[in-house]
Amino acid sequence: MTYGKALEGLRVLDVAGTIAAGYCGKLFADQGAEVVLAEPPEGFPTRHLPPFAPGVAAPEASGMHLYLSTNKRSAVCRRPSELLALAREASIVIDAAVGEERPLSATQLAAVSPNALLVSITWFGQDGPYAKFLGTDAVCQALTSQIDWLGEPDEEPMIPGGYQAQFVAGVTAFVGAMGQVLAREIGSVSGTGHLDVSILESNLCFTEIEAMRGYKGMPTRTRIGVNRFRATYPLGIYPCSDGWLGVTVLTPSQWDGLCRLLGLQNLAAARKYREGAVRQRDADEIDRQIAESVRGKSAKELAARGQALGVPLAIVPTMEQLVDVDQYVERGAFGEVRHPDIGSVQLPVTPFRLFGCPAVAGGSVARLGADTQALLARAGGAP
Amino acid sequence: MRMSLSGFLSDLRIVDLSMGWAGPLATRHLADLGAEVIKIESCTRFDWFRGWEASQSWIDEDQAEKHPPFLAMNRNKKDVTLDLSTERGRDLLLRLVAVSDAVVENFPSTVLPKLNLGYEAFREVKPEIVMLSMPGFGSTGPWKDYRAYGSTTEQAAGLPHLSGRPEWPPAMVHIALGDAVAGLNGAAALLAALRHLKRTGEGQFVDLSHAECLFPLGAHGIVEQALTGSPPPRLGNKSRYCAPHGVYPCRDGWIVIQAESEEHWKGVKGAVGWHKLEPFDDLQDRLARSDELDAVLIAWTSTRLADDAMLDLQTNGAPAAIVRQSKHLLRDRHFQARGTWEIRDRKFIGGIPHAMSPYRINGEALALGWPAPTLGKDNKKVLGGLLGIGKRALQALERDGIIGRRPRLRKASGE
Repeated sequence: MTYGKALEGLRVLDVAGTIAAGYCGKLFADQGAEVVLAEPPEGFPTRHLPPFAPGVAAPEASGMHLYLSTNKRSAVCRRPSELLALAREASIVIDAAVGEERPLSATQLAAVSPNALLVSITWFGQDGPYAKFLGTDAVCQALTSQIDWLGEPDEEPMIPGGYQAQFVAGVTAFVGAMGQVLAREIGSVSGTGHLDVSILESNLCFTEIEAMRGYKGMPTRTRIGVNRFRATYPLGIYPCSDGWLGVTVLTPSQWDGLCRLLGLQNLAAARKYREGAVRQRDADEIDRQIAESVRGKSAKELAARGQALGVPLAIVPTMEQLVDVDQYVERGAFGEVRHPDIGSVQLPVTPFRLFGCPAVAGGSVARLGADTQALLARAGGAP
Repeated sequence: MRMSLSGFLSDLRIVDLSMGWAGPLATRHLADLGAEVIKIESCTRFDWFRGWEASQSWIDEDQAEKHPPFLAMNRNKKDVTLDLSTERGRDLLLRLVAVSDAVVENFPSTVLPKLNLGYEAFREVKPEIVMLSMPGFGSTGPWKDYRAYGSTTEQAAGLPHLSGRPEWPPAMVHIALGDAVAGLNGAAALLAALRHLKRTGEGQFVDLSHAECLFPLGAHGIVEQALTGSPPPRLGNKSRYCAPHGVYPCRDGWIVIQAESEEHWKGVKGAVGWHKLEPFDDLQDRLARSDELDAVLIAWTSTRLADDAMLDLQTNGAPAAIVRQSKHLLRDRHFQARGTWEIRDRKFIGGIPHAMSPYRINGEALALGWPAPTLGKDNKKVLGGLLGIGKRALQALERDGIIGRRPRLRKASGE
């Protein structure tokens, strides 16, 4: 039995056009909220982000915009009055502005929609010495110590690819906004509110434990090599006949299981290796033996057999393999996303599942301004 | 100093069976919002984030109360011990569920069935209960029983193919990337389901797969594969789209420079020197000759302190940042000015810093009511106050080891 959508009745207006705002909005849209992109005539910044669909003209070609924009509507706003008209209907407005100058000020919003929540997702938050600095995903990963963890100890550290910092902030903003939605609906708070989400602070979730350790004078993490981590060994990725095998061993029984699986009886017999720290010391030699023992074998089979022995192994699928992984196919982790120019592609769906009110899997993506007429007419501000 | 919680969700009660990182982080978000989160442990099966290995001396030194991972994830919660392997412990848990809105768990899939517990048992005592289950790969599908750490799910999400140098094996960026991201998504899932519950009276079973929660972090790769049939190349610190893009040495550390637009490029030139960088004014030149460009930048950065270089680049309009080491995270002046960390005394360990909520409401972070509870700290308050168990009955429960306030070693036969 299903109950309809969890976020029915909510209306979200995105005036930001960033990845963080787009992902926050996607979580709303895929669960039944009406999400409207209030775009400038040239389209949101996300419409101009690579990768692009081959043979499709701007501003419709961006793959990132495609992924972020399922089940949303698009209106082009040419005048401030049009934006205000759309805001009249909004319960949540998402922007990416710092300080006084913003597409819709809190005062303007309060005047047209007295219970609306303004959600600002910015790199550094609304105040503080960095508030007006320029941010990027790598800037936030650097300042939260994530970059310091990746790479060889005697070389420069590495920037993890992509837009990870913004996606993390997008979910964080959704949590913050939903907390306020729920609080208003159960009546513990009323009126307008301004949610100040910092992409930088959102990313401390990865390293806050280390900060606590550092404060207490305990050793903290830094990079000690590719796929090497202080807490335990082995924790790495090895080439097999059909792809890559991911290994994590924390407990003595997992170590025994791995040795049994790979036929490394010599290592299992060495009592000292029951301790992760000792294995770490001899990591180069053990690594050689593990790599040799898995070479030519199937990662998929090894992972399944290892799991049966209680060892947390997994395949490390390539981007090409990912959509065909049994587990993800079985769970419907990818859904069909349709766009009038790009066509139809399989992309990830909302990763949490309300079995009573499941999110839309995939969905359609609106061309720039596809809903301008209809939305402005409904809002009483038709051009 | 405020000692009470924010009142946003004070009407909600959550029974939290989760342990480690992901589940407790999910419920921490709800606790910060003021929900009453009752964490359930037992004296022999306490949260493994209190410590991986218990020995008598470890217990005698109160090490279960000193481990930073536990202290980071469990502020603003109540703590109750219940031995769920006993009939009385199980019964008390069900009585708590009967007066709660949600239950959260992240055990391996075999644990709750062995205790004769699960969604069906909870629904019997509270038909509209929301249950959030958080196994590594979700509660359905061929991998539902797979064991997973935050590293396993990073691997299985394919992310290691998207970072590092081309000659490296697929490279992991974190020891447990999946945990923090799944925790955040768990909070999102709970809030959506609780909103539906409060609006309609309908509860439901909710699950999430840590691995699927990580897909957005690899979206750039997944999308490129889907649109073009090829994955993005691994280029180390370089980018196909912009330059400079990388990590550069300073006198005392490293800085990131990521110039994503022509405006940013002007900022780099403003800081480093127009004449030195003019030969690279065309983006295609910068991309084609990025090693030469980097050499010019390194000559500039390597004579400077990282903090000065960051400030110089930023004030000229280029995104740049110090590569902060974990041990220096509290030193950052932006964090200090914003009150990002709040230091609060905690029994057994003294002052510890808490990362406040990553969002502010009308200028204020959510209140830090109290630091992580000691084991069984709220037994009396919850079992006595909420369930109305009398003083003698509580003493009997303690005598029989069903509740307690100190860890005990498991009997050898157990596991």
